[in-house]
Amino acid sequence: MFARLLGESFARNPRRKVLTAAALVIGMAVATATLTIALEVGDRLAREFRSLGANLLVTPESDTLPVEIGGVDYRPVDEGAYLNEADLGKLKTIFWRHNILGFTPFLDVPAYVSETGGATTLIGTWYKHEVPVPDGTKFETGASATHPWWKVQGRWFQDGADECVVGAGLAEKYPAAFAIGKTIHLTQNQVSGDGRPLVVTGIISTGDAEDNAVLLPLPVAQEISGHPGKFRQLFVSALTKPADALAERGERAQTDKNIQLTPTEYDRWFCSPYISSIGFQIRTVLPGTDVHAIRRVAETEGRILTRVGTLLWIVTLAALGAAALAIAATSATTVLERRAEIGVMKALGASNALVGGIFLAEQVLLAIAGGAIGFFVGAGLARFLGESVFGTPAAPRLILFPVVLALAAVIAMIGSLVPLRRAAHFRPAVILRGE
Amino acid sequence: MFWRLVFQLLRGSRGRLGVAILAIVSGAAVISALLNLDLGVQNKLTQEFRTLGANIVISPASGAPAQISGAEVPSLMPERDVLAALQQLPSAQVSAAAPYLYIVARAQNIRVVVAGTWPDQAQKLDATWKLEGNWVRSREDQSQCLVGRNVARRMQLALGNPLELHYMDRSAQCRVAGIVDAGGAEDNQVFASLSAVQSLANLPGQIGVAQLSVTGTAQIVADYAARLAAALPQYQVRPIRQVTEAEGALLGRIRLLIVSMVLLILILTALCVLGTMAALAMERRKDVGLMKSLGGSISRIVGIFLAEVGVLGAVGGLLGTILGAALAYWMGLRVFGTAISPRWEVFPATIALMIVVTLAGALPLRMLGNVKPAEILRGE
Repeated sequence: MFARLLGESFARNPRRKVLTAAALVIGMAVATATLTIALEVGDRLAREFRSLGANLLVTPESDTLPVEIGGVDYRPVDEGAYLNEADLGKLKTIFWRHNILGFTPFLDVPAYVSETGGATTLIGTWYKHEVPVPDGTKFETGASATHPWWKVQGRWFQDGADECVVGAGLAEKYPAAFAIGKTIHLTQNQVSGDGRPLVVTGIISTGDAEDNAVLLPLPVAQEISGHPGKFRQLFVSALTKPADALAERGERAQTDKNIQLTPTEYDRWFCSPYISSIGFQIRTVLPGTDVHAIRRVAETEGRILTRVGTLLWIVTLAALGAAALAIAATSATTVLERRAEIGVMKALGASNALVGGIFLAEQVLLAIAGGAIGFFVGAGLARFLGESVFGTPAAPRLILFPVVLALAAVIAMIGSLVPLRRAAHFRPAVILRGE
Repeated sequence: MFWRLVFQLLRGSRGRLGVAILAIVSGAAVISALLNLDLGVQNKLTQEFRTLGANIVISPASGAPAQISGAEVPSLMPERDVLAALQQLPSAQVSAAAPYLYIVARAQNIRVVVAGTWPDQAQKLDATWKLEGNWVRSREDQSQCLVGRNVARRMQLALGNPLELHYMDRSAQCRVAGIVDAGGAEDNQVFASLSAVQSLANLPGQIGVAQLSVTGTAQIVADYAARLAAALPQYQVRPIRQVTEAEGALLGRIRLLIVSMVLLILILTALCVLGTMAALAMERRKDVGLMKSLGGSISRIVGIFLAEVGVLGAVGGLLGTILGAALAYWMGLRVFGTAISPRWEVFPATIALMIVVTLAGALPLRMLGNVKPAEILRGE
């Protein structure tokens, strides 16, 4: 009997059901889309933030004080400590190896250019270099990953070739010597005549100290400085999660003996991609180094990610609120419109519970159907939004499917409960008379 | 007569109107809150990005180079010229600015880079520094300095210790007021007041570079840099690409994200109000039938109902906008720590939108024009 009444109700007035279902579909589609985006936005934005470049700096632990002005180290080559280039593959063996998006070693060498007779700084680095990883694979990285804002007019030097890229400031000062295609000769000290010949392949403008330096492949710089296989600084670009209380504690526990993490806390800290835990893991595979977060980048990223995250959750909440409002309003209207029907049922002896049950069952059936359609529409919407905002579509989250269905059912039920309760107090005769 | 009818209609069906008013007010509140938020968020985020530090650098064009241990370093320029140019330009956008003079001095017989600057600006220019101790508050204070964490470690300096700096045959002394953790070159430097470093290096009135932190969109920063370059033709004024480019790209993404989500919610809310109003209008069929049988023309009847829902939309919209502005204010406090002040343009926009949506919702009534009153009154 109950099922027949329900079936009849759907068969007899499909137009009204379509309206309710449409509200459910649209409401749940928006809810699904905003939830999907909100769940994904942290990862996506963190990746976007890597356009700021490296967020970790690795230097030798027992180093002399670098004499560094504007990003160029002016120490002579025989002073201070060095790190081994051969160890760099180990960076891709740490627990969070997939979060290491790139790393670039730097070796600054004071030198002379024979053509101008002037002193300059050579910066040995990688642009696109294949690093052998201990597990047998190769990882391509270099300044292209850690310094994405570096722009070269002409082309970059080939990895390991006798080529170089000259800073825009130098090129402007000595246009004759540093034109693209010219060969320059570099020496360690002014006396020795011939020097190492390198072909200029491009002019770089970074808006920083590199504008007054010569960039060249790391092996060539190592050879000129007489430190084969060595470098001074390593810039690492890692995907991280904004720091929270645990991250702070984990970081402080490294230096402060008074702070001890419990084993669970330690595991949670180690297994979260905090900048401090990634730094700790890098130090484990590169002993004798000092790994430090570049606070300017790391802090800004953390702050903005946290804020945008909160903001999006508020917007998502607003979306859920708006969806609930739409559905509840439609459900309430359906019940109000069908007061005459309720009157007939009650006049024929139906109990309040039966009437309520029929209406609620109807709403729940509609909610499940509408919610399911809404989920798929919303997943498509999220895909489109992800594509247009971040360039890659947002993958649908199946975990949201039951959540969305349950949400739709609960909201539809709540929306019809209030008018149903009021309907329970109606006297059939009054309703049937049409008041 | 017309307005009395409208008023009577509004009073007569308070229960059902309650649902409609609720839908309109909450819809308008959501819309106005999100519009306020959307307009305010760019401003807030550009301020947040200022923790990235300086975004414009003024340096001498490649002139006569100074020498540090055999390598060329950028040359110097007079402090006065730069300050004069800065004072000419509007200062509202500049959140911090400081001159720098870098010299390589000796302390405890270790070579160390000493940056002469305005220590009071460092706090604003490098907001992400983790500082142990205190900032130096006055730029004239020659007795205090900040040291990088590596300097402090190498020289075993603690807070309050004296630090003796030697440059050629001159020397200067300062007290360590704070230890800087920056995660970069600053960790290896000593920060002292500009005048102290100038007299130590015997370079009175000279600076190496000036750094500025300018708040605003990429366009504002580029415009400011261009005007500064015009005021200082003999020097090089360049935006720091790492900061400006990344900031522009990131802001664009975040903005687009929020705008698209807000747009979705806007449409949903408008549809919700539309649906409620349509339902309300359909319930009015009986009134229409009655009026028609009493000789009212359909255009007049529809006019009355449109006025009714228009009033509803305006009143609900007004209440909602105020509520929404308060909501945005709270959101700003919650997310950014500073309130988002309501924009005046949101008020008319939201109210107009609500009126349009409610009127559109009442349009189905027009279809009643060809319906015979008797049929409606019979209840079909």
